[in-house]
Amino acid sequence: MSRKIAVFLNYFCIVIILIIFYGVKYLGFPKMYLLAEIIPLIGLIISFKTAFGISNLWKLTHTSFSKLDEREMQLVYKATTYSYSIFTILCIAMIYIINLLGLAIIDVVAAACLLYIAHILPASIIAWNDKTSVAK
Amino acid sequence: MESRKIFNRIAVLRKERNISRKDLAGKIGVNFQTVGYLEREEYNPSLDLAFRISECFSLPIEMIFSTKPLRPLSEELNMLSNRR
Repeated sequence: MSRKIAVFLNYFCIVIILIIFYGVKYLGFPKMYLLAEIIPLIGLIISFKTAFGISNLWKLTHTSFSKLDEREMQLVYKATTYSYSIFTILCIAMIYIINLLGLAIIDVVAAACLLYIAHILPASIIAWNDKTSVAK
Repeated sequence: MESRKIFNRIAVLRKERNISRKDLAGKIGVNFQTVGYLEREEYNPSLDLAFRISECFSLPIEMIFSTKPLRPLSEELNMLSNRR
């Protein structure tokens, strides 16, 4: 599986998890649908391993700067800067949508997804733009 | 500001001296993949790293790095000896 496909699949699984959860909570989907969450969850784990685990990008973006060389530092710094902008826009959009639809406050599933996205965004940007894998 | 492409002779010098990428990376204190990036001229090193590389090969920095495409080292040495 190519890294870009794995990154796309990872985000796609998050969206599916949210659609099923909120479908059951607000749109009256049968509660049995919650069992189907296991499929995107497995997809999420597999795509995470392919996109960020094998290539070691997760480790790269979560290592202290003192352990990186100058190229890696530059790579992580750029990715983190982009991530900050993307994450801010995402959070504001989410708050607006929640307010416009008159839904309740951000619940634990949305918060968990946001936390996960905040962690994988820098690695996703590197995985999407950079060609090579990262050495262990 | 867009940075200029810096050409270098790292790959030639490394092969000439039979040093592996990992060994060179260890000597100059970077990840071995960074050596690959430098050799393919996909990454411009900092001044500090450029000096470390020149010290590692015991050559002046201008013999290794240039903003213009580099000629083969043998050609360069011939030109220097002809000048003398």
